[in-house]
Amino acid sequence: MKRNRGTWLKLSMVLTLAVTLLAGCSGSNEGAQGNNANAGNGSTTANQQDPSKPDTSEKVELVWYLVGDAHKDQEQIVAEWNKMLEKDLNTTVKLNFTTWNDWATKYNLLLTSGEKVDMMFASQWADFYRLAKQGAFLDVKDMLPKYAPDTWNQIPKENWADVTIDGKILAIPSTYNEYAPDGWVYREDWRKELGTPEIKDLASIEAYLDAVKTKKNVTPINGIAFDNVFKLFRFSHDYQPYINEFSPIASTSYDNPRDIINYVETPEYEAWVKKMKDWQQKGYWTSNSLSSKQEAGDLIKTGQGAVYWRNPSAAGGFINEIKAKKLNMEIGYFPFTRFHNYAVPTLSITNGMAIPKNAANPERALMVLDKLRNDPKYFNLMTYGIEGRHWAKGKDEKHIVVPAPGVDLNEVPRYDIASWGWRFEPNMKKEDGGWEGLDKLNEEFKAISRPNTLSSITLDFEPVSAELAAVNQLVEQYGRPLMLGLVKDVDQKLKEYREKLKAAGIDKLKEYVKTEVDKQLTAKGVQ
Amino acid sequence: MRTFKTEPSTIVFNLIGYVLLTLLALFCITPFWLMVSGSFSDEMDIVSRGFQIIPDNFSWEAYKSVFQTPEQIYRAYGVTVGLTVVGSLLGLFLTSMAGFVLSRQEFKYRNSFSFFIYFTTLFSGGLIPWYILMVNQLHLKDSYLALLLPPLLSAWNIILMKNFMKSIPDSIVESAKIDGAGEFYIYWKLILPLSTPGLATIGLFLALSYWNDWFLANIFITSPEKYPLQFLLYKILASAAVLQTNAANYVSANVTPPTETLKMAVAVVATGPIVLLYPFVQRYFVKGLTIGAVKG
Repeated sequence: MKRNRGTWLKLSMVLTLAVTLLAGCSGSNEGAQGNNANAGNGSTTANQQDPSKPDTSEKVELVWYLVGDAHKDQEQIVAEWNKMLEKDLNTTVKLNFTTWNDWATKYNLLLTSGEKVDMMFASQWADFYRLAKQGAFLDVKDMLPKYAPDTWNQIPKENWADVTIDGKILAIPSTYNEYAPDGWVYREDWRKELGTPEIKDLASIEAYLDAVKTKKNVTPINGIAFDNVFKLFRFSHDYQPYINEFSPIASTSYDNPRDIINYVETPEYEAWVKKMKDWQQKGYWTSNSLSSKQEAGDLIKTGQGAVYWRNPSAAGGFINEIKAKKLNMEIGYFPFTRFHNYAVPTLSITNGMAIPKNAANPERALMVLDKLRNDPKYFNLMTYGIEGRHWAKGKDEKHIVVPAPGVDLNEVPRYDIASWGWRFEPNMKKEDGGWEGLDKLNEEFKAISRPNTLSSITLDFEPVSAELAAVNQLVEQYGRPLMLGLVKDVDQKLKEYREKLKAAGIDKLKEYVKTEVDKQLTAKGVQ
Repeated sequence: MRTFKTEPSTIVFNLIGYVLLTLLALFCITPFWLMVSGSFSDEMDIVSRGFQIIPDNFSWEAYKSVFQTPEQIYRAYGVTVGLTVVGSLLGLFLTSMAGFVLSRQEFKYRNSFSFFIYFTTLFSGGLIPWYILMVNQLHLKDSYLALLLPPLLSAWNIILMKNFMKSIPDSIVESAKIDGAGEFYIYWKLILPLSTPGLATIGLFLALSYWNDWFLANIFITSPEKYPLQFLLYKILASAAVLQTNAANYVSANVTPPTETLKMAVAVVATGPIVLLYPFVQRYFVKGLTIGAVKG
């Protein structure tokens, strides 16, 4: 009898719990649906003056989220911004930051939990496509012409196409054509001193590495070598990976996006890993480089390394840091685009802004964004900080000086929040005294520019998740040491790697990727 | 005064003992010392030569980076100390009450309740439902309560407390009842003093979890003035790492914070006060763990 009562009690408790949980869930769902219904048709208030003009009679506080960290003076800057916004749009913005710790987790939580956020940073590298397909963002197609007319007219058709999914426009891409190919910074002064040929292909790279090792007695690719070597492999072969950068499922070249292979099976890969074994034995990198925690770039600064992978703007930063630290070195840059003579601009949604599903005031958020992009006063404040403190006018309208004269960067750090989402080329400024190489490189890239067709391809790996996990595991276990030649017997390890990949189901994965990529390329109208 | 003649064997034994213990102590102190010395080193020295017992070039750089905004650090210390004190005391009070009730024979449904509490350690809704509950239903986003409440009562601690109180003989409670004591009086005046070892242990767990928690702040707190210390330090590290490998378009001379030495400095800042405090509070723990045996 007594025992019976205990079980009843347990049962009823579990039931109550289940019911509350369900109620909680459905409750929040209802709320979300209610919001969407409102969001679609713009809040109509009775006292609208001019029906063609957006109504700003009601004071609204928006919640915005950016990735990364706030600046030391953020409060002051946002206060300044809100003063202007209040006057112009009767709006204030609470600007939140995810900070860089675990930002991806937080970013996902914000979107999946349905928190009320009016606008947030969105980007292809922050999983824009996956989240968009899951319905995390609001369709702004019908709101844009009315609430953000300037932005709507400025952004080119093809950029809108980047963020259109099933006919819905789910983000506002930034307008800034950037090329961010990978490449190597290297000690140019050593190259001249050692008299090796100018770096333009694999042979000249090999000659350089060899001279640095044998004559300078310096490990050329010191510290973490894997990224440096892997990128050299990938770009010299022009493989276009589809799963993630290190996964062996890739198309053979930019021109043949549908020719998808598992490159571990190819004779080219075999030749390459043998070459790497040879390079490793010659000491182009250390035998502990897989466990090293040192960035190769830091070791260049101490004179213990010669090569480091960077994209052009980061290379500029690196070169300037060398200059600022008064290290007497000449650094050269070799972009890997030169292996195959084409450059691909980043997708427009490499940086952008989007409105989450549950936004309370999407219309107002669009109006603020429109202002922010197009009004130089707004743009300068939020992108470069306060004039006279974080920056000052440079030699002309297009240039600024950072920091303002008489301000110490140690006291007032550079204002560099993640303002990338509202970039708009005509309003952007360059810094005086920047690395002049960057403009030259951009000219070079523009001349050989080809459309970016592959970055926006996103695959849903749900049907092949088991194979994917197994393959990724093997890439870590075999691919890394093979790439760095850190195995005793290359032939045997390679054979093992190939067999294990087969057993893990790489062929099924390859077929799946093939059909999906085919489908998406056809939808995009790519030959 | 009588003098003992010590046996040679005892001398040898002591000698070996001292040598071994000294070595052990060195083993424990060296990493800590390397951390302290690393925090005072020059970044480039560590890159090129690794960590040294004595810094090659003494440098304050790392501490300058950590204390770039000193008032923020002090504030974060205040938040963390406040949370730790309030959370540990409140948590101890609630945990011990729960443990007391669940350990009592008279409480008919104690096993069902225990099971119900225990059940939560096996199954949980996961991060997203929990987040939705905290933010959308309880509206705890950016509130101190979001930092205080989640670690307050843990099922594990309640079960630990309950089992500890079970070991206190029932006769104590019975005799008190006969003398006319009420339930709360029994708990407060009899059971709690007898549970000091358990309380000390659980208090330590609670205090540590509050002191070291950064995850809650990471997902719930958006205003910088509410950051607890651990999260602030973690944030300093993360942003330094991002600055180091920044892909943003920096084209002018750039002040990048050190990274390796910064890690060490952060660890010193986070553990320093505790290390200094420990000798003073240590005796309470030892006391707490030895007092409380029931006299026959």
